[in-house]
Amino acid sequence: MVKNLVPIVSIPEVATIVDIRDEIEEVKSFYFTLDRPEIEEAFKIRSGQFIMCTVFRAGEFAVSLPFSPENDRKHISVRKVGKVTAALHQLEPGDKIGVRGPFGNGFPFEEIKGSNIIYVAGGIGLIPLRSSIVHVLQHRQDFGRVILVYGAKSSKELMYKESIREWQATENFETHFTIDRPEPGWSGEVGFVNHLTAKLDLPVSNTVAFVCGPPVMFNAVIKELKLKGIKEQNIYSTLERHMKCGIGKCQHCAIGRTLVCVDGPVYTYKQIRTLGEQI
Amino acid sequence: MYWLTKEQLPLLVQKLAEEYKIFGPRHDRVSGEVIFDHLPDLSELDLQAAIPYNPPKFILFPHYEEILKYRYQPETKKVRIEQLNLLEPKALIGLRSCDLTGLLCLDRFFLDQEYVDEFYLAHRKKLFIVSNTCIRPFPQCFCVCTDSGPAAREGFDLDLTFTGRDYLVEAGSKKGQALVEELNLVEADSESLNLKKQIIDDSVSSFDRFALENKAWISRATNRLTTGFIKPEVWEYIGNQCFECGACSFVCPTCSCFNIEDANLASGETSRLRTWDSCSFEGYTKMAGDHNPRKPVEDRRNKRFFCKLSYSQSKKYLRPGCVGCGRCARVCPGDIGLPNVVTYIRREITGESGE
Repeated sequence: MVKNLVPIVSIPEVATIVDIRDEIEEVKSFYFTLDRPEIEEAFKIRSGQFIMCTVFRAGEFAVSLPFSPENDRKHISVRKVGKVTAALHQLEPGDKIGVRGPFGNGFPFEEIKGSNIIYVAGGIGLIPLRSSIVHVLQHRQDFGRVILVYGAKSSKELMYKESIREWQATENFETHFTIDRPEPGWSGEVGFVNHLTAKLDLPVSNTVAFVCGPPVMFNAVIKELKLKGIKEQNIYSTLERHMKCGIGKCQHCAIGRTLVCVDGPVYTYKQIRTLGEQI
Repeated sequence: MYWLTKEQLPLLVQKLAEEYKIFGPRHDRVSGEVIFDHLPDLSELDLQAAIPYNPPKFILFPHYEEILKYRYQPETKKVRIEQLNLLEPKALIGLRSCDLTGLLCLDRFFLDQEYVDEFYLAHRKKLFIVSNTCIRPFPQCFCVCTDSGPAAREGFDLDLTFTGRDYLVEAGSKKGQALVEELNLVEADSESLNLKKQIIDDSVSSFDRFALENKAWISRATNRLTTGFIKPEVWEYIGNQCFECGACSFVCPTCSCFNIEDANLASGETSRLRTWDSCSFEGYTKMAGDHNPRKPVEDRRNKRFFCKLSYSQSKKYLRPGCVGCGRCARVCPGDIGLPNVVTYIRREITGESGE
């Protein structure tokens, strides 16, 4: 995978929140622009990378980037889950945040051209996959079948409804949705995303899969994909860890011999299986 | 090689003090314990003192340090981020070879990986290092097992070897050489080269008599740690003795995990602090929402020894992460310093029964 352009390493760059959207309960998207024009210009990412985001007077946290490297508005989508993210949720358009990064390896893009792609997401696991989906759809002709299998607890928990509608308008983009329990007005599947994955007629040869979601869902989906015959080295995921520096020094994100911030966060399932620690 | 007489030593220190803040081994006034510390009073420097209680890593990587400061005014939406000047010329005098090796490990870890740690670099930029050969090992030492002593081989500006009255001096850098010339030190003859070699050989051969506390023949443990073929029971046995106090990490010359916190000050500013951390703490890997991928203590414990001895970690340090100073064994209330852990792993390999 290609290494990145020069990221913002130690001192955060100030950014302005220009827009905030409610996605699902406790999850908001924060659209931002970097204050210094030359930095805004130079800030380039690869799908799957992350930034360290400073909420002033609260702290810093690692967060995946859901926007495409090309022609997409910069934003992060964040669940209110701890001290710093709760402080972020208090912010309003016009407020400032700090940005370091982008860090990490990112999903393969050039390497998988010509392949079929299956995205399998559970809940807010769609956030880190969004960037790759948008990027692939922007280059739709370079890929084979592109399929999204997406599950959540309920229809209210499905992320990025607006983006999904746009994607569905793209030619040759297959989508399959499921929710855990039946709901009035729901016409899609009911059940866990791994069961839906098992039922679908999915391509196997020349196919890569991107899987992201809670550990239980992740393991169940991997099992189904492997049963179908997709190779471990063609299944990608992105891992989350408690991170403090983002540049491979604080060691908080160590899993076995790798550091998620510099060696990851994107790993193939083959790599994950041999890390020597639970994910 | 040069001779530095006992009388010339204070001159050398004085000369360095003109340009550098001086650190070295001294006796703590209360406990009598040898500590490696800042020396406002240069006469407190004691090059004959035993191996210091603490390694010198805090000089480059402080226990806690303000790495940046900012002021955010929510009303006006103004942010001012202040980058701090951490650059300060410092001289480390009387560094033992284990501690110098530890420092070189930190250099490789902080400066030679994908990213350079700018804060460490600032401390490292203007450093003068005077190493000191251990002419006799201390009870806790096992640097001969970890290839990091008893004499320094690289990384020093000046290297001292005590010969009974005076010191043999080797310059290891241009600035070391310049200082030697400035002090007009007498050049040593070829016989003195042999003398230094003899002193080091004598020191190595006296480990069996003096370094009685610890032994850690690490190579076979390294193999096992790298391949992961160590029974879970061994880690459980080790984990059961761990008090999770973090002392081993704090006295280790190569442990460098840290935490970062933003602390709001009464002045309205916020201080971003980097503080020492340890993989033995439960909260170390805990994520927001309380998910913790590492739970049992033995799970966390084996990470430290993996870090010290595995081949994959050695690739970052270009040597094993343990430098044989014996400090972890000295401070551990649970008796699972690195030498004992190596013993437990070797016992498993050889099939000897444990206690």
